[in-house]
Amino acid sequence: MTIHRVIRKVQRFEGWFGGSAVLCLIAGLYLGLIGSPPDYYQGEVVRIMYIHVPLAHTALLAYIVLTIGSLWYLWKRDPIVDNMCQAVAGLSAVFTALALGTGMIWGKPTWDTWWTWDARLTSFTVLLLILIGYLMLRTFVDDPEKEARYGAILAIVGFVDLPIIHFSVEWWRTLHQPQSISMRGVSISSGLLVPLLFMSVGMSLLFSYMLMVRTQLLYLDRLLHAKKGRLLSQFHLSKSDS
Amino acid sequence: MTSFSVIRWIVWKDFVTELRSRETISSMVFFALIVILIFSFSFSMDQQAAREVIAGIMWVAFAFTGIIGLGKSFSTELQNDCLEALQMVPEAKGAIYLGKVAANFAFMFVVEILLFPMFVILFNLEVVEEISLLLLVFFLATVGLSAIGTLFSALTVQIRAREVMLPILLLPLVVPVMIAAVEATKGALNGDPPAMYEQWLELLAIYDVVFTVVSFWMFEFVMDS
Amino acid sequence: MIACHGIGKAYGHFQVLHDVNLTIAEGECFALFGPNGSGKTTLLKVLATLERPSTGHFEILGMHGLKNKEAIRANLMFLAHGTHLYDELNARENLAFALALRGHYPTDQDVKRALDRVAIGAFADMKVRHYSAGMKKRLALAKTMLARPNVLLLDEPFTALDTAGAEILREYVRERLSAKGTVLLSTHDYDKTRPIANRAGILRHGALQETAIEELKSDDLV
Repeated sequence: MTIHRVIRKVQRFEGWFGGSAVLCLIAGLYLGLIGSPPDYYQGEVVRIMYIHVPLAHTALLAYIVLTIGSLWYLWKRDPIVDNMCQAVAGLSAVFTALALGTGMIWGKPTWDTWWTWDARLTSFTVLLLILIGYLMLRTFVDDPEKEARYGAILAIVGFVDLPIIHFSVEWWRTLHQPQSISMRGVSISSGLLVPLLFMSVGMSLLFSYMLMVRTQLLYLDRLLHAKKGRLLSQFHLSKSDS
Repeated sequence: MTSFSVIRWIVWKDFVTELRSRETISSMVFFALIVILIFSFSFSMDQQAAREVIAGIMWVAFAFTGIIGLGKSFSTELQNDCLEALQMVPEAKGAIYLGKVAANFAFMFVVEILLFPMFVILFNLEVVEEISLLLLVFFLATVGLSAIGTLFSALTVQIRAREVMLPILLLPLVVPVMIAAVEATKGALNGDPPAMYEQWLELLAIYDVVFTVVSFWMFEFVMDS
Repeated sequence: MIACHGIGKAYGHFQVLHDVNLTIAEGECFALFGPNGSGKTTLLKVLATLERPSTGHFEILGMHGLKNKEAIRANLMFLAHGTHLYDELNARENLAFALALRGHYPTDQDVKRALDRVAIGAFADMKVRHYSAGMKKRLALAKTMLARPNVLLLDEPFTALDTAGAEILREYVRERLSAKGTVLLSTHDYDKTRPIANRAGILRHGALQETAIEELKSDDLV
């Protein structure tokens, strides 16, 4: 139950996380959209990078958190860790979908196509499918204990699979399409790096803030359900006694 | 030693059941034939075009029929709640997992061997020289599919909407197997020098090892509250 | 010996078991009555280590129910509502398979004796698919006998059994009790249960209330 106390303690600072997320994002957006020069090759289009890359980073961060939480749950079976896993899975799905969406928008002007079977885009798509599967799986189990356990198993297997998926798609790509277009075309100069750093940190803080709020919500929801269950059975009992 | 005997008994039970009921293999074969038929209607192909897409069609058919077999593997354990008895086996559940993987592998591999001549005939493939390499591809890919498929068969059998959830959860996770199997099969069918596609065989071998170990470990948590 | 300490089980806001405290000593048979949906099967499943309780813990033969499951399973048989039999296998094969997984290898003699004891020896080579519900129940009982458990959990054991079958079951329970076994059974049938039960209780909306078994005779047991 120690992790329970740690989570409750960290939760007290959730306002700080939210506040600093807003500050970082505002600073990053100002520097990225107004304060930095356009890219030599891509022009103004490059500015979507300040949204896309932090979103992608955060999506991966979220999946790592999900995996650690899942391992922890299988080890300790602490329900609040499962509340955290459920919260992080939903957020991870949202961030992954947004990263994919902004990636597509970026791809249109630079590669002149909405979609290409690039290794990163493809593995993000598979990641999104795994996360949607995870969220669906959880809705199809009646016993909350089983729900948590099965979710954790899927998350861990998916985590092991993701690098293999990435490499297999990359190999497959190099085989079938010559590397005429590459995401590595963007040369990172320090003028780009500073706003990117702000945005990445800000996005991670935003994610942490949302995670705390959502975990809290799911935790209270679980307590509420338990309370309701106890009251209902007490009510039935008192009725059958009289 | 008891673990080995558990593996043997599970395989024995699945084989005897299958020999008597003939449900799994026959339904897999017929389903695959229908898939092949639909594919051959959808693409009207000459021999040249067939060569390009046949490996893909083959593995789509194998994966879908595999899912039918995998799904049955644990849904048959639901009759008379036999799954409960498996869960109450007073031992680590890894032996049950390995037994089930062995049985599932055998069913899928048999079906693939039965279906391959159909592909050769229906799509006018030239008779292949590299048949042993092709068998190796089938072997490695089928081990991968059954290793991870058995885990998810056991997981989905205890939830609602299990028939839908098995493919939904399984197919994204076997993307590497599908890519590698299709590429290697294409290479073997075209008679390319093995050096050109051996990286895919390596990938399949790595996948097999990784997911047999991970699933073996996770199976414990699927079966045990 | 079975000891439950504050066992609760909830599915979402549906509280199936509610703070169940129960101790059954060696050589005792506890009869668990209660209307449908009162949580009898869930309690048995929790004790059979099939489901994890939401709250509380339990010990069986002094072994912790969440930490020492394998040892508990080796000493416990759960005669469940489902008979745990494979339709495509015959009686002998079913027994051999189920017991081998538990690490027992009964001789042909033992198997024959068990099958004769439950009076289905004549159908030993028939596929279970062709068995009636009562015969399946008898075969499951034979399996339980061969496993020689110290703790017996019986979920509605009299359903589908005829009068003779019920007597075979009671005889077996008596034998286990005299060998210092522990028995917990859930039932609706007062008359069939009365001869073997030492203690009884009613489960209502997941709460257990122990009662003298004679008082239950007039109770509306459903």
